[in-house]
Amino acid sequence: MSKGPHIQIRNVTRQFQVNGGSLTALDDVSLDVAEGEFVTIVGASGCGKSTLLRLGAGLDTTYKGAINHAGEPVDGPSLDRGMVFQEPRLFPWLTIERNIALGLENSGLPKGEKKALVEQHLELVGLTGFAKAYPHQLSGGMAQRAGIARGLVNRPNVLFLDEPFGALDAITKTRLQDELQEIWAKERITMVLVTHDVDEAVYLGDRVVIMSPRPGRIREIVPVGLPRPRVRTSAALVQVRNRVLDSLNNTTQPVPQQAARNIGESSPALRPVIAAVG
Amino acid sequence: MAAISETSGHAGPRFSWPSRKRIGIGLTAFILPVALLVLWWVASDRGWLAEQILPSPVFVYETARDMIASGEILYHTAVSLRRVVIGFAIGAALGLSLGVAMGLSERVEDYVKPLFLAFAQIPTLGWIPLLMLLVGIDETLKIIVIAKGALVPMALNTFTGIRNVSPRYLEVGHALRFSRWQRLRLIVLPGAVPSIFTGIRYGLTHSWTSLVGVELLASSEGLGYLLVWGRQMFWLDTVIVAMIAIGLVGFIMDKSLNNTETLIQRWKKGEA
Ligand SMILES: Nc1ncnc2c1ncn2[C@@H]1O[C@H](COP(=O)(O)OP(=O)(O)O)[C@@H](O)[C@H]1O
Ligand SMILES: [Mg+2]
Repeated sequence: MSKGPHIQIRNVTRQFQVNGGSLTALDDVSLDVAEGEFVTIVGASGCGKSTLLRLGAGLDTTYKGAINHAGEPVDGPSLDRGMVFQEPRLFPWLTIERNIALGLENSGLPKGEKKALVEQHLELVGLTGFAKAYPHQLSGGMAQRAGIARGLVNRPNVLFLDEPFGALDAITKTRLQDELQEIWAKERITMVLVTHDVDEAVYLGDRVVIMSPRPGRIREIVPVGLPRPRVRTSAALVQVRNRVLDSLNNTTQPVPQQAARNIGESSPALRPVIAAVG
Repeated sequence: MAAISETSGHAGPRFSWPSRKRIGIGLTAFILPVALLVLWWVASDRGWLAEQILPSPVFVYETARDMIASGEILYHTAVSLRRVVIGFAIGAALGLSLGVAMGLSERVEDYVKPLFLAFAQIPTLGWIPLLMLLVGIDETLKIIVIAKGALVPMALNTFTGIRNVSPRYLEVGHALRFSRWQRLRLIVLPGAVPSIFTGIRYGLTHSWTSLVGVELLASSEGLGYLLVWGRQMFWLDTVIVAMIAIGLVGFIMDKSLNNTETLIQRWKKGEA
């Protein structure tokens, strides 16, 4: 696929005014995501992952640089871009069905079509029997499924997910990762997923974007390059994981100023594929 | 966050001492009243207090029976209830509008809230002398005083409810391109409902207590009037019957409101 990037982030800098000072959350970040690609973003907390995602989704529009989606500048939220938050943020006063239907509030579709779409997406995330349940009656995993369904119900062509499985137990998390991957394969949606779990990043991503903090920068982009379905324990996947971990560790360790600048300037492509793994 | 609830009905740690066996909560609630009744009976039987001050339960019971049979108690209760219903409806509607206006607009908040808070500090009864001069001691006075009792808690709780709607929910609305009206209808108002209900409950309680206050001062009918009149005549049996009626009506109103609330907010069940 070489139609040009689906999501194009060019030299984006985002600063926040904090206590009279200015905090650079993102510093000159550039990232291209191809159509139908699954990109995962990892990095220590506070390195600007959520900020980058909110900018891409159009939830935040005060930045320097350029962000385009399918060639159009992103200047606000759009129903073509779905968003899934870490806490599912379901409205506790609405049933699951009504929560998902919220996504279609501004779709302009006739009632019957909305109803069909909600049913279809309940089924997609395996919540058909819970249409009339209230959020408090659902487990964490089920609630997040509903959150994903709400993000997808508009049939966006890109879905942004901010640590969607971060609060789930290991078993539920594994299951939801597989389900998300199936949805991605079936619906052919571009996905950008933020996580602090390196295993999750390499298991799901076509490419893994590694960010470093203070100021938030993209340190390296690691292509996973393994066919799906992937085996979590396969040697090849473990190798990529170690590679990502290694890079990540370098971002969090206090490196001398000079060395840090050198790493930042070196082209990711020139770096050794595997750093120090036996 | 409360949004993620793994289990429903999870009570979480409590500070209160757990009751070993909470059998028949309905029954336990009667232990204290029955004990008081026994104490009252013993006290009047033994003549611990003069009979003009503490009439015997039997005597009060007979008075109550007569007042019910003659329709007297029903009449005064109806008069009081009517005042509360009208006054509360006016006060709650005004309080809701004011709370919504202050909650939605920072400008309205800046202009109105300081004065409103100062106004709220003056106890309801403190307004009565001034109001008497302005509107006399007729029905209008009572309605205004009762309405004021409902207005303050209603406005404050509505305001807080609206302001406390989570920005996380508002961000969901932003992502889904909600209009201002959709935000209000689908997020802000439903999110504020629990708090508005608290306002209704406090408002009703305030209305009821200020009603009795204003009837004590200026009325020729109603349960409050019954109290004053009974005291002036030294008919303590009548006073006690009126007190019981006031307490009972208040209790029933609060209880039925509570039930309505639970019914409407089924989604809240089990939310920690
Ligand atoms: N609205 C905001 N106001 C001020 N500072 C913010 C705001 N949002 C994020 N930041 C700061 O920007 C940095 C990056 O935040 P964030 O994108 O949330 O990081 P991450 O998601 O990687 O943990 C942090 O230092 C954070 O404190
Ligand atoms: Mg984050």
